[in-house]
Amino acid sequence: MSMKVNIVGAGVAGLSLAWQLVQQGVEVEMFERGARVGEKACSWFAGGMLAPWCEAENAEPVVLEYGKESLAWWQNALGESFVDAKGTLVFAQQRDKKELKRFARRTQAYEVVGHDVISSLEPDLASQYQEALFFKDEAHLDPRKALIRLTEVVQALGVKINFEQEVEPEDLLPEKVVDCRGYNAAKTVQSLRPVKGEMLLVKTNEISLSRPVRLLHPRIPLYVVPRDDQHFMIGATMIENGHGHQFSVRSMLELLGSAYALHPSFAEAEIIEMGVDLRPAFIDNLPRVERDNNIWRINGLYRHGYLLAPYMAKLAADSIISDTHEIEKLADFKIKEDRA
Amino acid sequence: MKIYLNGVETTVDHTKLEAVLIQLGYQEVTIATAINGDFVPLSLRKNTQINEGDKLEVLAPMQGG
Amino acid sequence: MLEVYGEKFTNRLLLGSAQYPSPAILSESIKQSQSQIVTVSLRRESGGDLAGQAFWQIIQDLKLKVLPNTAGCYTVKEAVTTAHMAREVFNTDWIKLEVIGEEDTLQPNVFELVEAAKVLVEDGFKVFPYTTDDLIVADKLLQTGCEVLMPWGAPIGSGRGLNNPYALKTMRSHFPDTPLIVDAGIGVPSHAAQAMEMGFDAVLLNTAVAGAGDPVAMAKAFNLAIEAGLLAYEADPIDARDMAEPSTPMMGKAFLS
Ligand SMILES: Cc1cc2nc3c(=O)[nH]c(=O)nc-3n(C[C@H](O)[C@H](O)[C@H](O)COP(=O)(O)OP(=O)(O)OC[C@H]3O[C@@H](n4cnc5c(N)ncnc54)[C@H](O)[C@@H]3O)c2cc1C
Repeated sequence: MSMKVNIVGAGVAGLSLAWQLVQQGVEVEMFERGARVGEKACSWFAGGMLAPWCEAENAEPVVLEYGKESLAWWQNALGESFVDAKGTLVFAQQRDKKELKRFARRTQAYEVVGHDVISSLEPDLASQYQEALFFKDEAHLDPRKALIRLTEVVQALGVKINFEQEVEPEDLLPEKVVDCRGYNAAKTVQSLRPVKGEMLLVKTNEISLSRPVRLLHPRIPLYVVPRDDQHFMIGATMIENGHGHQFSVRSMLELLGSAYALHPSFAEAEIIEMGVDLRPAFIDNLPRVERDNNIWRINGLYRHGYLLAPYMAKLAADSIISDTHEIEKLADFKIKEDRA
Repeated sequence: MKIYLNGVETTVDHTKLEAVLIQLGYQEVTIATAINGDFVPLSLRKNTQINEGDKLEVLAPMQGG
Repeated sequence: MLEVYGEKFTNRLLLGSAQYPSPAILSESIKQSQSQIVTVSLRRESGGDLAGQAFWQIIQDLKLKVLPNTAGCYTVKEAVTTAHMAREVFNTDWIKLEVIGEEDTLQPNVFELVEAAKVLVEDGFKVFPYTTDDLIVADKLLQTGCEVLMPWGAPIGSGRGLNNPYALKTMRSHFPDTPLIVDAGIGVPSHAAQAMEMGFDAVLLNTAVAGAGDPVAMAKAFNLAIEAGLLAYEADPIDARDMAEPSTPMMGKAFLS
């Protein structure tokens, strides 16, 4: 069998699909407007958390169901050492204690841990917090290293990636095309909306963390994800009316204020980078695989790019290879459930 | 000429509000405008002058409680 | 029937549109709440993304009365300009007037509020002022030409319920003919039912539904509670007593001892 598929966009959606297709012997060619992977991708700014149980706090149940599979997928595609399976710790400040209770009520698969466990998991936070929720099955990866690695892996498997090639999916017809342009597809996919996200990269030797930590707050929930070389990703805002690519003073104040609240040592950190991008989202905040004749589309990954791209890649690959129009639509259970 | 569009420095080529809005991509959309804190109704956009350094606010429907 | 500014509504829940987990859940929550009035706001829109248009489409599809607010305004000037912009965008002269005085409690600045109400009424707006339970402020607002008042239950988003039921009751009896809508601070349906039992005309809330684990179910719960509270008020509840009063008639009881 020799089938050829073109993919427009080498973000997490496009690259995951490329990997999925080459595994099944499909010839893949990619077109990416950036000069290198990640340069113009929303995927570059992600936290890289594979945290389906935490996300389930306010996401649809399918996010948990399919998100759970992503850990094994990434380990398989990149090698085990690329994924840190050390869990997530969730904290709240004393005055926001109720937030921790609420979070616990709305999630599962965690342990309530006290001072001793916190000391052994994250010694630097032990003096600040007496209680936390530990989601031990969650994981994280460095999204930038993951994108670069996945690019190398698929290239080694024969995928041709054409950088600095801005193309419209229609230009590549009649061959099979998959539109993985992220929010840039909004011109043709009118139902996409942007949810702006701002993140910071800081560096400090004053504190060490081994896993993502979340700090709950009624207004500005925050997470900090450790990266190599004492770097920390601080994220992320969620701005519905996501306009522009500017980092607002308010967001900066809020992110840094909460990072400082998480641990005062962040006051001394150096700010390495400020990142802003638009998360592509559909009305139910769930991703979709759609097909229109010979154009497929993976989009709407919202804040679940690394978490759900693997599952969406599988769905798309199945539909392309078996040439079916019947593609699972991720259901919004919270809405469809019979409420009579 | 430079103006501030929603707080962001932006270069525009026109001097009338309506033309500026078209240039900035606000066509056939539901928005309201204010210049330097004063409301400019739709009916006046055509002839309202924009000057260097003006603060142009363009607002649209948004979630609210 | 709720009647405000000459318009009639069968439902007495006014629902906010912010902070839902997704636009789909927002839309479904509003449907399940049976609400006929939904509050909306205005924010900056950039030419490239036009994000507000998608939200506006969702609201328009629901075919409800929209009540734009001036959330986040701290001065008369800001609130008045925002109201004018809202009138043009939403094509309505209704405005929920919020003039905030202080960031931690989001307490209304009643001095600026009265001033802004005066300007807006003169400009032909139908003003819904978000105010405290202060009777003198309420009176001033009515003098400016407001035909409805929206006293707070508790600070915005606090979910504490009716912080001062005594003051709210007094307000109700002081203004028997003015539509009074309890706005803000509602946490659970029983708070809303309580307001309705006290004779308030309607309840406006947002966070209590949007922040619930299942907003759609909570929207439905609020609708039921408000209906129950209204029915109870109309049924004229009994007064509380200090002593027990047997509910089974004593007359004709047999002597068996
Ligand atoms: C601050 C922030 C934090 C986040 N944190 C997380 C997290 O912790 N976990 C998680 O799972 N997700 C997270 N996300 C979400 C995640 O980043 C997105 O869901 C994901 O990146 C979307 O991937 P994509 O491949 O669809 O789009 P993109 O990454 O934007 O990729 C699209 C690619 O297509 C290219 N392209 C576009 N148009 C063309 C064209 N015409 N021709 C050629 N190429 C084109 C672009 O250059 C780009 O490389 C976060 C997002 C943000 C902004």
